[in-house]
Amino acid sequence: MSNLNAITNQIHRRTFLNATGVSLGSAALSALMARDAQAMDEYRPLPHHRPRVKRVIYLYMSGGPSHLETFDEKPVLAKMHGEAMPESFTKGQPIAQLQGQKLTCQGPLIGFRKYGESGQVISDFLPWHGKMADDLCIIRSMVTEQINHDPAHTFMNTGTAINGRPSMGSWINYGLGSEADDLPGFVVLTSEGGRNPQPISSRMWSAGFLPSQFQGVPFESTGDPVHYVGNPAGVSMAQQRRLVDAIRKLDEHRAVGWDSVPTGHGNGASGRDGVPTYNDPEVAARIAAYELAFKMQSSVPGLMDLSGETQGTLDMYGAKPGDGSFASNCLLARRMAERGVRFIQLYHRGWDHHGDLVRYMNICCGLTDQPAWALLTDLKQRGMLDETLIIWGGEFGRTPMFQGKGGPGRDHHIKAFSMWMAGGGVRSGLTYGATDEFGYNSVENVVHVRDLHATILHQLGIDHERFSVKYQGLDARLTGVEKAQVLHDVLA
Amino acid sequence: MKFPMAVRGFFLLLVLLTLTARNAAASDQIDFNRDVRPILSDKCFFCHGPDDKQRESNFRLDQAVQDRTKIADLLRRVTSTNPDEQMPPPKSGKHLAVAEISTLQRWIEQGAKWATHWAYVAPLKHDLPKVADTSWPANWIDRFVLARLERDGVKPAPDADRITLIRRLSFDLRGLPPSLQEVESTDLEQFVDQFLASDAFGERMAVWWLDLVRYADTVGYHGDQEHHISPYRDWVIDAFIDNLPFDQFTQAQLAGDLLPESSTDDKIASGYNRLLQTSHEGGVQAKEYLAMYAADRVRNLSGVWFGGTVGCAQCHNHKFDPYTAKDFYSLAAFFADLDEAAHLKKGSDASPTVRAPELRVLTKRERVRAEKMSAEERAAFEKSARLTMISSAIEPREMRILPRGNWLDDSGPIVTPAVPEFLGRLDTGDRRANRLDLARWLTDSKNGVGLLTARIMVNRFWALMFGEGLCRSLEDFGAQGQPPDHSELLDRLTHEFVDSGWNVRHILKLIAMSRTYRQASSNSEFGGRNSEIRSSVPHSEFRIPKSLRQSRFRLPAEFIRDNALAISGLLVHEVGGPSVRPYQPAGYYKYLNFPKRDYVADKDSKQWRRGVYVHWQRQYLHPMFKAFDAPRREECTAQRPRSNTPLAALALLNDPTFVEAARAFAARILKEGGDTDESRIAFAFRLATSRTLDVTEQSVLLNLLLDARKDFSLDETAAKKLLATGLVPTRNEISHNEFAAWTTIARALLNLNETTTRN
Repeated sequence: MSNLNAITNQIHRRTFLNATGVSLGSAALSALMARDAQAMDEYRPLPHHRPRVKRVIYLYMSGGPSHLETFDEKPVLAKMHGEAMPESFTKGQPIAQLQGQKLTCQGPLIGFRKYGESGQVISDFLPWHGKMADDLCIIRSMVTEQINHDPAHTFMNTGTAINGRPSMGSWINYGLGSEADDLPGFVVLTSEGGRNPQPISSRMWSAGFLPSQFQGVPFESTGDPVHYVGNPAGVSMAQQRRLVDAIRKLDEHRAVGWDSVPTGHGNGASGRDGVPTYNDPEVAARIAAYELAFKMQSSVPGLMDLSGETQGTLDMYGAKPGDGSFASNCLLARRMAERGVRFIQLYHRGWDHHGDLVRYMNICCGLTDQPAWALLTDLKQRGMLDETLIIWGGEFGRTPMFQGKGGPGRDHHIKAFSMWMAGGGVRSGLTYGATDEFGYNSVENVVHVRDLHATILHQLGIDHERFSVKYQGLDARLTGVEKAQVLHDVLA
Repeated sequence: MKFPMAVRGFFLLLVLLTLTARNAAASDQIDFNRDVRPILSDKCFFCHGPDDKQRESNFRLDQAVQDRTKIADLLRRVTSTNPDEQMPPPKSGKHLAVAEISTLQRWIEQGAKWATHWAYVAPLKHDLPKVADTSWPANWIDRFVLARLERDGVKPAPDADRITLIRRLSFDLRGLPPSLQEVESTDLEQFVDQFLASDAFGERMAVWWLDLVRYADTVGYHGDQEHHISPYRDWVIDAFIDNLPFDQFTQAQLAGDLLPESSTDDKIASGYNRLLQTSHEGGVQAKEYLAMYAADRVRNLSGVWFGGTVGCAQCHNHKFDPYTAKDFYSLAAFFADLDEAAHLKKGSDASPTVRAPELRVLTKRERVRAEKMSAEERAAFEKSARLTMISSAIEPREMRILPRGNWLDDSGPIVTPAVPEFLGRLDTGDRRANRLDLARWLTDSKNGVGLLTARIMVNRFWALMFGEGLCRSLEDFGAQGQPPDHSELLDRLTHEFVDSGWNVRHILKLIAMSRTYRQASSNSEFGGRNSEIRSSVPHSEFRIPKSLRQSRFRLPAEFIRDNALAISGLLVHEVGGPSVRPYQPAGYYKYLNFPKRDYVADKDSKQWRRGVYVHWQRQYLHPMFKAFDAPRREECTAQRPRSNTPLAALALLNDPTFVEAARAFAARILKEGGDTDESRIAFAFRLATSRTLDVTEQSVLLNLLLDARKDFSLDETAAKKLLATGLVPTRNEISHNEFAAWTTIARALLNLNETTTRN
């Protein structure tokens, strides 16, 4: 359906229509900030069906948390501890750092218990998750296709390991527009703590071939929260306002001449004497961009300022304002959700546990367990959980086989890992899918990354098969060319 | 509104009849490639196209056209309202518009003639068409354009005024604004020659080329470590300055190491083959990455020189174009002699990473400088020589077709280097074909695909001068790309390029000297044209293709930077050298690891060098560049998007580079702009926009100045803070308040749409 050019033209045309003969500044602005009106665009009949949620908060556990020490209890693996890993599993399969090494079974390094009415099984590393077990839908049968961090992140975010494609947050904002007047629709927050924080590339929130306005905007905990959102030293907001106003007046004034009907020859650039029509959509877009930029100069610091939160709330999350922790980011995520940010992605870097897994799981879970619970609980208390989809998970899982960089640890693994979903329209208290006795292969209700993408889009009212953009001659989709399935079984 | 199906069918028929009548009146002959192929390719080829494996029925369109009954069936199916019969089937998500069905119908009425896709047919040297208005054309390009406009009953736009034209030429050919003296120039040709002969021309062209070949200073994957490659960038710049013929330019990059008597410069150029992204992550599987690198190279070769998407054939035969999976791996085999093992074994996660084979070199420009030095100076200078990655051929590794692109599957047949079968074959006898054979075939207009290559390139030159190519899809000349707006002109330019000895500058000058280029720009369909046309011609007809008029667009990221530095007088004109590091927000690289990195901005005049020299960190491209749509250079970029976002506005308003430029600009205004506020504002305005301001503009700026003066006189500390941004020293003889107030004016001017727009 959606041809990118057609849509761009359409947006331009709307801007143009709005800008003709009306007071320019406000008309152009309202066009660009037309909020949900975008969804009614004739070229973009979205949503395809009634959306179940308004937004996504994606808790991205970067590095690849072990499913075997979080949500996937494996008693047989415990019994096999120290034995050789059966070659029937591993022969000819992709393998990362354990290439050429002897493969032995590593039993689970922590106990598990059942929680809540649902009796969901969760490891002792995650006691706060236990408290919200009845709100979670745990998927134990994830698979991905990329075994190294960088391509695996790219695959998880864009649906392909080939670079240059839009990430899911960009797709979603492209499709649905933002609900926020003065904030980007796709925000990325990052924290770290754990083993060897793996690099995370800005490719993960890239708009790819979509217009750059849909790219994820990283918010920083130190310095300017958004690049260049602060005035130059010595410039007050009042001065900046005057500056932006002067720029707008000059741009508008100039634009009146552009594309008007020329009256003389050899004077195309300044045919002012004709009827002053205003035909250049680029100018309207530019003026709107400056206005929004100026608004962001106050809305962004306002968003980041936690001084209005009660001590009780801060304690619930375990957040200290300005510390850049996952806890603070969870609280910020709630604030962004309140302000209409469509896709909020929180990376926590530190889950790459090739060695000393117990020590590092304690650190990672210590930093993320309670805040995740607090976020879910806070949203619930505010009546927002039902319109939010929360997702928790990494780019892959970890091997049932021992790796020992330091104390016992596990290597990257792509044939099985766990994630969870919660919020609007999700069947809470459900454990979905299963792995084999070793936790090596997903064997029941296998969920591919593209199925996850299809499901996320579905909850937002988007049919993944009809949501495409023409790129290099193809109808490019987030879910790619292979068949993807919406996980109706995990939806209420 | 819902109608019963029969009623819908009736409506459809009615609309079809109406359309057919109208189109018949327009007496248009259907051109298969222009009118029909795009429809079939997009809506039908996925199942009824050239890919044997995907085809869902035996109905293959290119064969079906031979058979009248099948063709009749086609028409019945596409007009059917029965979901079980309808084509394309509703579940495909594809839908034929009424106008498209009408086109198919007319095509069938006219005999359903099939033709080879235009891009694979050698361009013809068309005769110059006759035109009614013989006074308008300035050279033969204009004959083609005017003939088309006259056919459609529209007139070309009037000429742009002199100042607009000079600015346009300056940005298009140099990526820089004209100086105040240059704006006064009246001899257009002399002016064009002067621009084309400037160093800045080479830098401007390099920005274009480096996007295509995905040049960057870092490896791209995982730790995104630096690698050694900047001499290659300098070679590209000098190649354009020296006007190296494009065939030689191609051969040096793909196969500089294989050329007879390969020179240092040829070896530097062969760094092209090393520009791909690589990973130095622990635990990479060599076999997997060899497959990824091979695919990366084929994608780039295909994007740059084929104008195609051969990359699609990695897992299966191409859906729309005649490329097979075998073609894909046969092309990959050309690069099987590159020494990958060295970097996979030795490549470390230190930065810069080790990526043998590398060579320590002085570039041509550096060698010239060295010759003028004393022995002592020269020895010191040679020590500073840069390392650069080069190509060097080893025994080629085995290349197999990977079934469905799966690198774990060794069952596919072994392939040797070969060009795509439908495009011909290389005649190398018993000798294994190599990269040099490939490069020569690409630029051989008689026995190779030189004319196809040339057509892809002249189309891109046209886009540099108009904002759009004659074929709009600069990256895709395949069936899914767009047919050219003016194929005769494109063909003729192609021949001109080859006949001129692949002379890039010649083609650019030809375009620059045309009347077509000189037209006033317009971002609306009819703007700049006669009002009677606007009112009398129905909208959808007679639209003037965007590539045949001039348009107005925002400068690319690098030139936004260069422009501000040039206006302020800070710009350092110096060609080549290691990459430079502008100011950048602190902590921007904090998510990089292996190793952790601190960005240290340059503390000298490197701060004011052109954007083409700015350090290109693939994963964390400078935020200002990113905000203005510079690509990450992970893949071939033939056309950058041009967005207009708040992030870009914030960068231009608040990035220290632009605040510092505003300070320097203010100093220049105060020094050179006369003694009154009015004269200074007029001078400043002229520097930024090349034109004289009007009364309204003057009053807006005067008011801003008065307000700023008042603000800063109340708070001198603030003024001092603003003036402390950047490295350039503040002049002492002027008060801080006054300086800061003028800096505000300078900031306003640097942020104007007009200042950053090529018109």
